[in-house]
Amino acid sequence: MSLTDQERDHRSLLRVQEGDSRALEELYDRYTPLLYPVAFRILRRAADAEDALQEAWLQVWRRAVTYDPRRGTVAAWLLTVARTRALDRYRSLAARGRAESSVDPEAGARPPEPSASAVHAQLGERVWSALAQLQPQQRQVLEIAYFEGLSQSEVAARLNAPLGTVKSWTRQGLLRLREILPQEEWM
Amino acid sequence: MSAHRDQDIDLCAGYALGCLDTADRERVEEHLASGCPMCQAALAEFSDASVLLAASAPLAQPGPALRQRVLAAVAAPGIREPEPPAEQVREPVDTRGRVIELRPRRAPFFTAGWGWAAAAALLALVTALEWTQAARLRGELESNRLRLADESRWSEVLNAPAAKVVYLAPTGKGSSELRARATYDPVSRRAVVVFENVRAPQGSDYQLWAIVGGAPASLGVVKADAAGHAMMRLENLGEPKLLAAFAISLEPAGGSPNPNAPSGPVVMLGKLEG
Repeated sequence: MSLTDQERDHRSLLRVQEGDSRALEELYDRYTPLLYPVAFRILRRAADAEDALQEAWLQVWRRAVTYDPRRGTVAAWLLTVARTRALDRYRSLAARGRAESSVDPEAGARPPEPSASAVHAQLGERVWSALAQLQPQQRQVLEIAYFEGLSQSEVAARLNAPLGTVKSWTRQGLLRLREILPQEEWM
Repeated sequence: MSAHRDQDIDLCAGYALGCLDTADRERVEEHLASGCPMCQAALAEFSDASVLLAASAPLAQPGPALRQRVLAAVAAPGIREPEPPAEQVREPVDTRGRVIELRPRRAPFFTAGWGWAAAAALLALVTALEWTQAARLRGELESNRLRLADESRWSEVLNAPAAKVVYLAPTGKGSSELRARATYDPVSRRAVVVFENVRAPQGSDYQLWAIVGGAPASLGVVKADAAGHAMMRLENLGEPKLLAAFAISLEPAGGSPNPNAPSGPVVMLGKLEG
């Protein structure tokens, strides 16, 4: 089960840095199945998630040179860009009172094509069962911080827990997730 | 290097997840920039875990039109500045302030009503265009065509199956923030070297070297833009078996007086494997 191919991704990103739009196309096809659900989970409306994702890919195109391989994989960097764009959009919609209150009745939008998303569905299930093995607080901290975009002090306030504890739960939760799903099983 | 504290590992986890408060984020960014190997490794691990967390989002996929929108937006002129043809290229261009139309809903040009008037005006404009202007445009087109041909020749280096990517590592004798990456194609014997954070101390320059057959050969002084970015495109690096490494030295302004030996310290080194 291979979700990312680091060598191939890295070469594609180097080509994007040099302005090769075909390389961006390749990354788009490879990673939209991973990025879009995150944007959709955050924004809960297909039109907003698509706009956020478009902004994200443009940012990847223009700012590819800011990717630093020592900090993580191309997949992780793409996710950071997409999540940040989605959260920015969520906050600006929330400021205008549009978020959540106007959830699209067809919120689920388009169900994914089975063939295209088989790998993701399979991995998604395994991640779900891995998350279920975490302590509830660890899981909650990861989900709130990642998908709702709360800072650690905001998470601490929401859960009525000390900031230092939230920081440890974050570390423990992420490490546990990696232990349960070692890299060779999904990379 | 800012001294490593145990809490920094916690901060790396929050950083990978993108949920640190500002003061913590600044602390960990500064600490990571100082090159703490323990935190670099931890961050890579946490960042993998955050990819897993992302994969827990319920499946969904965008409409097929999004792909077209993204690719059309990428192809739009002005989205990314074209690279100048000079050897050293400035990068990146920060266009965050630029307005991007997300969903162009431009009416067709020849809509009924004003279309024919607009067409007549356009025709008049074209007729009025001076011959010299047209010639200048043709010249620009030709130079763009040549530039594109040259670009594609260089992008072949990056795409070459045999190409090797070498990250130059700091030797400890200079700046820890300087970054350099060389992509070398032994078949065409060409290389593209990209630099970031090029900020040589006042009155000095960085100089790139190839270590060929055990001896250094100058590849030129690194000329960066105001943001500290530079790129060098190198032709004919000689017999691939003899090329062992790329190196960067810190030299007096203008480079080493001797093209076959650095006069200053070697601050970065990247060996070609195999």
